[in-house]
Amino acid sequence: MPPEPPPAAPALLEVEDLHTYIGQHHILQGVSLRARRDAVTVILGRNGAGKTTTMRTIVGLLRPRAGAIRFEGRPIHGLPPYEIVRLGIGFVPEGQGIFATLTVDENLRVAMLDENPESRDRLPRIFALFPALERFRQARAGTLSGGQKQMLSIARAFVNPNRLLLIDEPSKGLAPIIVEHLVAALQEMKSQVTVLLVEQNFAMASALGDDFYLLDDGRTVHHGRMVDLVHDHALKKRYLGV
Amino acid sequence: MNGDRLTPVQLARQAERGRRFRQPAPYLRLACLVLAALVPLVVPSFQVLDLAAKIAIFAALVASYDVVLGYTGIVSFGHAMFFGFGAYAVALSLGKFGAPTYAHLAAGFLAGVALSATIAVLIGAFSLRVKAIFFAMITLAFAEFALILAVQLTHITGGEDGLSPKLPGIFAVSYEGGRLLGIPVTGRLVTYYFILAICLALFLVMARFIHSPLGRTLQAIRDNELRAEALGFRTFVFQIASSSFGSVVATVLGGCYVMWVRYANPESVLGIHVMLDLLLMVIIGGIGTLYGGIIGATFLLTAQTLLPHLRTVAASVFAGSMIMQRMTERWLLYFGILFILMVFFFPKGVIGTVRDALARRAPSPVSSPPHPASPLRGEEKR
Amino acid sequence: MRRAAPILATAALFLLPLAFMDARTYVTLTVAGLAMGMLIFLVAAGLTLIFGLMDVLNFAHGALFSWGAYVGFSVALLLNQRWGWAAAPSVPLNVLLLAASILAAMVVAVGLGILLERVIVRPVYGRHMFQILITLGATIVIEELIRMIWGPNDQVMPVPLTFQGSWDVADVIVLRFPVVAIVLGVLVYLGITLLLTRTRVGLIVRAGVENGEMIQVLGHNIYRYFTRVFAAGSALAALGGVMWAMFSQSVRPAMGGEQLIFAFIVVIIGGLGSVTGSLLGALIVGLSYNYVAFLVPKAAIGINMAIMVLILLLRPTGLFGAGK
Repeated sequence: MPPEPPPAAPALLEVEDLHTYIGQHHILQGVSLRARRDAVTVILGRNGAGKTTTMRTIVGLLRPRAGAIRFEGRPIHGLPPYEIVRLGIGFVPEGQGIFATLTVDENLRVAMLDENPESRDRLPRIFALFPALERFRQARAGTLSGGQKQMLSIARAFVNPNRLLLIDEPSKGLAPIIVEHLVAALQEMKSQVTVLLVEQNFAMASALGDDFYLLDDGRTVHHGRMVDLVHDHALKKRYLGV
Repeated sequence: MNGDRLTPVQLARQAERGRRFRQPAPYLRLACLVLAALVPLVVPSFQVLDLAAKIAIFAALVASYDVVLGYTGIVSFGHAMFFGFGAYAVALSLGKFGAPTYAHLAAGFLAGVALSATIAVLIGAFSLRVKAIFFAMITLAFAEFALILAVQLTHITGGEDGLSPKLPGIFAVSYEGGRLLGIPVTGRLVTYYFILAICLALFLVMARFIHSPLGRTLQAIRDNELRAEALGFRTFVFQIASSSFGSVVATVLGGCYVMWVRYANPESVLGIHVMLDLLLMVIIGGIGTLYGGIIGATFLLTAQTLLPHLRTVAASVFAGSMIMQRMTERWLLYFGILFILMVFFFPKGVIGTVRDALARRAPSPVSSPPHPASPLRGEEKR
Repeated sequence: MRRAAPILATAALFLLPLAFMDARTYVTLTVAGLAMGMLIFLVAAGLTLIFGLMDVLNFAHGALFSWGAYVGFSVALLLNQRWGWAAAPSVPLNVLLLAASILAAMVVAVGLGILLERVIVRPVYGRHMFQILITLGATIVIEELIRMIWGPNDQVMPVPLTFQGSWDVADVIVLRFPVVAIVLGVLVYLGITLLLTRTRVGLIVRAGVENGEMIQVLGHNIYRYFTRVFAAGSALAALGGVMWAMFSQSVRPAMGGEQLIFAFIVVIIGGLGSVTGSLLGALIVGLSYNYVAFLVPKAAIGINMAIMVLILLLRPTGLFGAGK
């Protein structure tokens, strides 16, 4: 089934018919999506559907063979990752990607970009969201719990005044109670930043998401409002097995 | 046997067998062999015979290095060391235990092979278990260690002077076997054909090895170690098996080398120069081609035989300029530049590049060539 | 603490030879061993940082060491022949000669290193086999250039008068140059450590050693840091080259290749990517070599190999390995 044309609301990020190869394998075979400003857009799909590959392609870690990525109307595909993120994109990778041998403070400092002097002023807001990080500021990040590591990873992407956050599977491997904390923190961040979220945990996805995109076999197969998906049991069963 | 009951390996082999005689390569290989066999009959010069014997030995040595480098994808700097083990084992066995006999010769080869196999497995177990990149560092350290040992253990190895063993029976210099086809049958001649036969046998064994299920597993590991690991292969066990196999072949060739030159010293069989020559030959001929060694060895050994003559010419031409003289003396510099350019622009060497060009011109009816396009592209992940 | 354990164990081990020799010999050997270790450390530090950050095993590192030694040699020779700075019984002139040699060697090595990184290494990032082959090819070329420019034979390195001979400290003969080498090694170690822990570049490099991909998606152009680290590593190799030339009072085209093997052993012992590990590994190698050479001369060549194999068995990622 071909993807329907995306909605015409003003989009912060537009991805159009993306094709990405890893080695000789054609992983993305036509992913299209738009992330509305000030909304949470969730990418759903089974394991191996191409969710993480989509995120890594957007942020420049993988180079698309075909297709277009536009951020605030400007094409960004083909740029190196360090230039892409400097346009105002924060990336929280799958598995957190924190620097275990560095302290929490150093992890945050390494993320602060020199041209954003207001980054330091954002720290109190971050510590208000994630009080544990302030408590363990001088501890090595490797000694944190899984949930704290995830918070650090999100905080690191939020330390610059980014307009878009890409968050890949934040709930993976975390206890339900920790996931609830995370949802609460992300709810609060929603008002300040646009979020593109990959999430397998449907409860979390539906709690946070405004829009959804469904990926299957490297293609966008469905999209719409999250509220509609919650009630569409046939679709959920077909693509998500829930 | 029913066709669809064949294993994938058998199927691939069958496909290869089918097109074997439609390709020029087997005939070229046969031509090389015939040429090498005819050398003593056609050209009576010892220099040419010497060159031919060394080309045969080094072609097989490069092929054995290629098994490790090209087909397994691990860089070893100890290959010359295993060659040296064979050389010293045979030289010691023949020279240190009374009058040389065939038994001494055989014992020398066996001892060398046993030593090499043990050391190769140990080095592999220490390094490959941790990380393939350690293998390069550790083999280099071991090679240096072996070189120092050979120099320092004067009472056994003869130190810098080395050993000059005598060969038994029909291999001895003094052997006269009458005339055959009008050619005097000497110990040299017998040795030459003996070495040629061993090199041929080793080539056949190596070809069998890389086309065996084990060889194919190795290529899978080389091309994608993570995937091979995910499929349940203990990758380092396979890598150890292959590097040990290549090392043992090198050891046998070291023994052959001593039989030919009747001399082994640290510089000529263990030195870093042997290793550099090997690397140059494998790069020139083509990594992952097995037979590239024939081209690499022929090119480099012929060049090295001719270069001293070139140097005397250059010395008389540039008699006035010190730096010009030095520039002509440093031919290794040009080989180094050639090496870098080959790695950058022709990573498949002469054979691989020609093979690609042929494949482009006349697309083969059977798809998927027997050798994956480039072993160097294999993604390595730690 | 986990980090302290290898240090304490090593320290205890190196008091052991005291049982087999008198204290005076022990001090002499220890000074020589520490000096040798510090010089190897200069080579290993660059190697380990380049590997840690860029995942590049730079086989050409030894050739840069040789180049440093030869440039330092030329400068020292020139200054001594023109103005007799090495032979003059003047401490400032002697020190000036050493400093000038080192500076010139480092400048040349940085240039060479940047060229090497941009032209040879950059196209093959992420492909180990290619890297090893290509940097080995570069080694052949760089070393042959030395033979072409300076000739293939050993030459005598002029050593400033101040650093020749020995001091007599309470009846113990302490050679002067090794002490200079030790002091320099300590300064370099402190310098690297301060740079890594106190500066923003150091912070980014440390983070990059752990996860280079993440550093890029945090907005840092990692290639700029690659070049800087490669240049710094080259400068350290050149510094090591000049110091080693004065230590052994000679220069040889192949000297870098031999040091590289020591540095490999050190890096494996200390753990790839760890500067502190390299220092510890280098001191272990330098000290044990000197003790064993005195006690059992024949075993000296094997001792470093034995230590390396032992470490690989007990702790495959090295004393301070990040387990990368």
